[in-house]
Amino acid sequence: MNKYILLRKWSGLVFCIIIMSSCGHKKDEYHSINDKIEAESKDYQGTSITSDGYIDHVKTIEITEGNHTFLIPERKSQLQSYSCMECHTKPLTEMQKNNKSYKKAHWNISLNHANENTMNCISCHSGKNMDNLHSLTGKQIDFNNSYVVCSQCHTKQFDDWKGGAHGKRIGSWAPPRASLTCVNCHDPHKPHIASKWPARFNTEKVKERK
Amino acid sequence: MSDNNKKWFSLNLNFSKKQKSESDSCGCGKTAGGCNSGENNDLNQDDFIEAAVNASIGEERRKDGFEQVFDVKMDRRSAFKKLTASLMIGAGAVSTSCSMIAGEETKEKAQIDWEEQFKGNYKLMTDEEKQGTVDRLVRSYQMRTGKNISMSSKNAEEDVLFGYAFNISKCQGYMDCVNACVEENNQDRNSEMQYIRIHEMKDGKGFNFNESDDNYYHEVPAEGHFYMGTQCFHCDNPPCVEVCPVQATWREEDGLVVVDYDWCVGCRYCMAACPYDGRRFNWSKPEVPETEVNKNQHYLGNRMRKKGVMEKCTFCVQRSRSGQNPACVEACPTGARIFGNLLDPESTIRWVLENKKVFRLKEDLGTEPKFWYFMD
Amino acid sequence: MEVIKVFGSLVKDSIDTITHGSKKYHLWMALLTFVMLVGMYCYSVQLEEGLSVTGMTDRVSWGLYISNFTFLVGVAAAAVMLVMPTYILKDIDFKQAVLIGEGLAVAALIMCLAFVVADMGGPSVLWHMLPGIGVFNFPNSMLTWDVIALNGYLLINITIPMYILFRHYQGKEAKSKVYIPGAFLSVFWAVGIHLVTAFLYQGLQAKPFWNNALLGPRFLASAFAAGPALIILVLAIIRTHTPFKIEDKTIKKIALVVTVAAQINLIMLVSELFKEFYAPTHHSESAYYLFFGLHGKNALMPWIWTAIPLNILATVLLTFHKLRNNFKVLFFACFILFVAIWIEKGFGLIVPGFIPGPYGKIAEYTPTGIEIGVTLGIWAMGAFIFTILARTAIGIEIGKLRYKKK
Repeated sequence: MNKYILLRKWSGLVFCIIIMSSCGHKKDEYHSINDKIEAESKDYQGTSITSDGYIDHVKTIEITEGNHTFLIPERKSQLQSYSCMECHTKPLTEMQKNNKSYKKAHWNISLNHANENTMNCISCHSGKNMDNLHSLTGKQIDFNNSYVVCSQCHTKQFDDWKGGAHGKRIGSWAPPRASLTCVNCHDPHKPHIASKWPARFNTEKVKERK
Repeated sequence: MSDNNKKWFSLNLNFSKKQKSESDSCGCGKTAGGCNSGENNDLNQDDFIEAAVNASIGEERRKDGFEQVFDVKMDRRSAFKKLTASLMIGAGAVSTSCSMIAGEETKEKAQIDWEEQFKGNYKLMTDEEKQGTVDRLVRSYQMRTGKNISMSSKNAEEDVLFGYAFNISKCQGYMDCVNACVEENNQDRNSEMQYIRIHEMKDGKGFNFNESDDNYYHEVPAEGHFYMGTQCFHCDNPPCVEVCPVQATWREEDGLVVVDYDWCVGCRYCMAACPYDGRRFNWSKPEVPETEVNKNQHYLGNRMRKKGVMEKCTFCVQRSRSGQNPACVEACPTGARIFGNLLDPESTIRWVLENKKVFRLKEDLGTEPKFWYFMD
Repeated sequence: MEVIKVFGSLVKDSIDTITHGSKKYHLWMALLTFVMLVGMYCYSVQLEEGLSVTGMTDRVSWGLYISNFTFLVGVAAAAVMLVMPTYILKDIDFKQAVLIGEGLAVAALIMCLAFVVADMGGPSVLWHMLPGIGVFNFPNSMLTWDVIALNGYLLINITIPMYILFRHYQGKEAKSKVYIPGAFLSVFWAVGIHLVTAFLYQGLQAKPFWNNALLGPRFLASAFAAGPALIILVLAIIRTHTPFKIEDKTIKKIALVVTVAAQINLIMLVSELFKEFYAPTHHSESAYYLFFGLHGKNALMPWIWTAIPLNILATVLLTFHKLRNNFKVLFFACFILFVAIWIEKGFGLIVPGFIPGPYGKIAEYTPTGIEIGVTLGIWAMGAFIFTILARTAIGIEIGKLRYKKK
């Protein structure tokens, strides 16, 4: 009887070894994902994947703010009424007088950005040179860099936007980075985004949960 | 009809007692009248021939033509062998004869179907084999529908580990992501399969999933509520990968957890193992209207699936491996979704992880999801 | 060659026994065949349409099939409760029941395999699991452990009784040197198969209803209660309908096994209920759904509130010697215990594991007609197989079936 038990035990062991060696799974050595990220990005050289081809549909310019350098859409070529100086040759007060041809411009712009104590037209638009915007201290800011104006009050969003946590990236996750600016989503005169209805409703879920 | 108490279509497996009793005490197993062991062996020529014939086909002679076909003697093993063989031949004949395309195309189709049926696990294939199966699938689709698709078998890029971040403050519950995902990934329209769920939660109740609603239909964002979305989180320690008995699902080098639809046996163990409701099963044949089929496909991503297999969000492998953002990231109008390469120190996803207060769902389960949530 | 001849003769003789019998017997077999055919038809519908013809959804992805599978693995494991005393403890009182028990184990295992195949989304590609031509994810996936355990146990339970019956058929004694090691192995293996099946559920951190330490032991306790209970009922039927003699003390001893197992099962139930309801956490939601309903959804309440009282009643009845030794009471208690554990361990365990879902959503599960049809068909198949095996075994054991050298 002992012979048989021994034989069985031995064959059982061999069987186990054969089965165990058929396992094809490698266990990762990292304790957590952060350890893995830290370890594997130590000698990061870049990848061959780029955003080429996915950001070509937008004309971009490169900006550097703080530690971040990235592309943003060029703005001036997208503005219908640019350049402003083509019309704005006289002071604003003169143009606001009763004159039929002037009144038709900017008819669809209503200002709803903070209250009248805080902001009005000349908070952002430079009276000296209407082709530019200006900062609180009067420094001229190009229309392409309109985000500088916004960053004066909205500092937190600006920091987030520089890093990439606020706003939308164009087309690709790979470098070079191209991100939309503030005015690409928020109308600077009426920044509030309206509510809408959801894109779809799942009738199968309703059935499932009856 | 033989009178041995059997149905007409049964096989006579040579055990009928009545026949045995005829040969009485003879133990050599021969059929009736053929033994002669204990009898007088001095037979004349004709009798001998008669006895010999009886021994070999005696039974058969007594049967009519019907019985000769249906009442065949054979042992169980050869019976089953013949049955199986004829079934296979029959099946083959039926399938070839039912084919609408004649001649060469039929042969090619049969060849493709055969090779697809018996190919191995995608994870273990060489690059040539992967290209081979992709070519077969493209050709098969072309033969069946006449349309062309492009399918990629692009492998994971080196030094890439995909990560995802979701900004809860930004999500307004529009569900544009859900729409985009369904259209991008060729999901079954009949069962309204959606990889993404958007949950509407009440302010002040915290992350209370029990009281959240993931199938709302009213103007959003609704007063007093906030929104967040869930999908497969592509864990780095995925429980679904552990439990698959055939390794039909695995984590790729770039961190994506993928499914080989042709290898999955449909046991749904991975679905029980996923804590995040990341996986979906095709309970019936998935159908997508021809006009809505996304023709840019990847083998592990949005190619057409069949019934009885698992599928899930793949971070749009057909897009992300070539540099594009997944469809949900692209579609979100508020920029609530952030995607990128965790190993690139300059990427936006890394900036979010390092500068925003991020957290993940059910962290105590030890699954290490690569999908973080944060707020402004 | 001799062996093949004897084996062939055994097959012939057993087929003869199977196809001849009393009217009641033929009626029984006809009924089973009819139910099997209904089951086969339902399964063909399922193969054609896909699993959408069942009541399972993405929320509750395992239903009636896996519930029955889980329960039947326990029944199969319980056959060992007869093997161990007979061969290891050399208690001859159990000897008569052993072959019946192992036949039951084989039938239950075949039913288990049938339920698993019925539940698969792609049964035609199950070859993907074979090591060598497919990929066998051992030792990571508990399902692969279960495949090895179940098939190994099936092999053991076919070969050992087959050997014994074969020898008896020839009028010879079975050599204990050959079957004792196998019997030894099957004892540990039986505990193994049910523990492994329990680990299938226990290892899922995603399902807190199953992810507790007591699930494995609870499975063993309920298996050793329900399995021998069924064996008692079967032995009772065999006693009355065949000339096979089974002594009262055999049944009484098995009843003792059932009693102890049922008592341990109840203690474990109390422990589980305490954990869930004394200081309920978010993880207790599944237990709440099962016992009290959640947010108005309470489809399983009538079932569990039948099962638990039946379980308690059966255990109480069995505890008292006077009642247990009264066979009428014993058979009644065994029957209700079997049903109670079938509910509690079947869909009273599997379905609440999925409710509520990972994000708290509740979608209830109701089996469809097709599902019930396939389930009944497989149960009928199990009964059919068991009847065949039992008839052959009994025939050999009472000496009716013997190999006659010609």
